[in-house]
Amino acid sequence: MARVGLILDGGTGDGQDTRGAADVAADRLRTLGFDVERLSLRTMAIAPCVGCFRCWIETPGRCVLEDDGREVARRVVGSDLVVLLTPIRFGGYSSELKKALDRLIPIISPFFRRIRGEVHHRRRYSRYPELVGVGVRAQERPLPDEEDLFEALVLRNAINLRAPRQAACVVDRDDPKRSVRATIGRALEQVAGR
Amino acid sequence: MTTTRPSVLLLVGSPKGLERGSSARLGRLLVDGLTQRGWASNAIHLHAAVANDEGRRELVAAVDQADVVVLAAPLYVDYLPAPAVRALECIAANRQERRGESRPRFVSLIQCGFVEPNQNDTCQRILERFADHAGLEWVTGISLGSAGRIVKRGRRALALLAEALDLEILVPQEVQQLSQSPRAPGWLYVLAGNLMWRRLARRHGSAGQLDARPDARP
Repeated sequence: MARVGLILDGGTGDGQDTRGAADVAADRLRTLGFDVERLSLRTMAIAPCVGCFRCWIETPGRCVLEDDGREVARRVVGSDLVVLLTPIRFGGYSSELKKALDRLIPIISPFFRRIRGEVHHRRRYSRYPELVGVGVRAQERPLPDEEDLFEALVLRNAINLRAPRQAACVVDRDDPKRSVRATIGRALEQVAGR
Repeated sequence: MTTTRPSVLLLVGSPKGLERGSSARLGRLLVDGLTQRGWASNAIHLHAAVANDEGRRELVAAVDQADVVVLAAPLYVDYLPAPAVRALECIAANRQERRGESRPRFVSLIQCGFVEPNQNDTCQRILERFADHAGLEWVTGISLGSAGRIVKRGRRALALLAEALDLEILVPQEVQQLSQSPRAPGWLYVLAGNLMWRRLARRHGSAGQLDARPDARP
């Protein structure tokens, strides 16, 4: 059975800021043998997480908000690899990507355990997808540490969302397509190339 | 002769609003320290503000007019909740167009549900970059663990921070030291936290179901 690669596209506005990178990631995933699913988050009805924890203690594993946020969580759990695609904002994610990530807490357990000397949540499912962060930079003058920050954020997500492996890369929106292809390809192969 | 009072703007980035929750409480502690020193204050709930054009306009105008902006928010999946991120995007876009007109000072108070305050570090670093980008003067980021529960030393840290903001002096190192050490050993936090989840599950009739896997693959 083919592996499933899910692209969570956190592009903003008309989506042009991430469309090229999304196409490149989809093509590369297909050549790596994945069935590709793409979710354009800005077009989806995903309400902000209200921090009620009812997805942990009332309806364990499922958010009580009945909108597309549930579908995103279901698709993430059903994937082998998830691409977190976003225009970079101050080294972090766009609000469009973040609104989907906030709704992923039902996929982990409320119970705590210690991992690498820190307290985190236990896994709910027996398997979780690999994570690949792809940041698209648009500013003429990149902020200092932007790439490092983006990589650090993806790593923190991988720990908390229990990803077995993770990678991150940053491309400039105006980079030649060949360069974008090479950068994103390397990040995907790093976790999915075997 | 009239003198204009300095003003502090509290931005609460928690879905729980301005009246409930740890983030609002922490933010108010700091703001109260300033109002007791004669400052004027204003507060905005970011989830409500970013929901419509009028709210966004009021938000960016309030930031432009403040002397100090305090962001108080919980850590959600390693960063701010999405509406707070949206607020940063709006503020940065507005201030890029108006760079140089004012330079409010910026303080962040971030609290996470883990015991280690340093789990907020990446978020704080992003906020520092945001401040640079938006033409705000980064003062400091206070990180708290244990869902923002603070004891005497946390209150002392916020009181010292208020004093430093008021006097426009460097934030004493003591402020970071007071807020950054975990309140409990990790093993104890795990034990107490897991007991709490079981107790809450019993109350909601879901005991024994907390490990449910509704979306498991066949």
